[in-house]
Amino acid sequence: MKGFVPDEIPVGGFQIAPMIDVVFVIMLFFMVMAGAVRVENELNTTLPGSTESSAATDFVDEITITISENGEVALNDEPFDTPTSTDLKHLRDTLMRLKQNADNAKTVSVVTVISEPQAKYHRTVAVLDALASARIENVSFSVGED
Amino acid sequence: MAGGGGNMESGEPDFQIAPMIDVLLVMLIFFMTITSAQVLRVDKNIRLPVAQNAVRKDSSRSEIIMNVRWEPLQGRAVFTFQDRTYFSMADVMPELRMAKEAAQTQISASQNPHVRVVIRADRECPALYVSQAMSAAAEVGIADIAFSTVNRD
Repeated sequence: MKGFVPDEIPVGGFQIAPMIDVVFVIMLFFMVMAGAVRVENELNTTLPGSTESSAATDFVDEITITISENGEVALNDEPFDTPTSTDLKHLRDTLMRLKQNADNAKTVSVVTVISEPQAKYHRTVAVLDALASARIENVSFSVGED
Repeated sequence: MAGGGGNMESGEPDFQIAPMIDVLLVMLIFFMTITSAQVLRVDKNIRLPVAQNAVRKDSSRSEIIMNVRWEPLQGRAVFTFQDRTYFSMADVMPELRMAKEAAQTQISASQNPHVRVVIRADRECPALYVSQAMSAAAEVGIADIAFSTVNRD
């Protein structure tokens, strides 16, 4: 920007070069802010309910995921990943395979997440996140008895 | 802003400052807009859990926001609902019922079919208290629940 020097600088006139400098600085600020900002997203679920129906219902693949107080996650009573694992990679891959199998068999995957009362909430969200990555939508969440 | 013409007398095109300023201002407005649109409505006392695969917030529907804050020193959860603090979910119920009725009035006005409850709970909070918030939603007849998360730590 310093290379831009007008032939005649009127005294007290409008200076374009400093204005562009300032605009650049402001733009850089907002560019950096846009990259660093944390966005609030959401994971959706629907509470289980009862409906009266006389029509036949399709079979569903029912999966139960339990979360223990120490953070251990088990799928159909089989433990997955370590209690401190944040990305739950093993569980995620297994859920993707189960979803693929359910899609191939044209059945619906229904997952119930049951957490122990004192288990940390972030553990529940990690499981819900793994379910979201596997594109399993029929998810319900409940807390087990003490 | 634009309107500068080129000086082609020497055969070389001049550096045009006006279009450059136009582009700069457009970029500035773009970054200002996206930054302000993503302002985080997070209570500083609540550390939301991180989820990479969560979906964008659906702002087109009527929603009731319920905050669940965890106080580790006291070992208790505090429910914040409509700027009021409650220590028991049972105390929130009358306010929640009124909020649902108010939200349903908005629905009939805007033809929006569902009210949902958005639970903003601290990541360290025991699942029991999140479950209590869900039970309260169920008790007032709302089955649609969303858990708030953030995209990065």
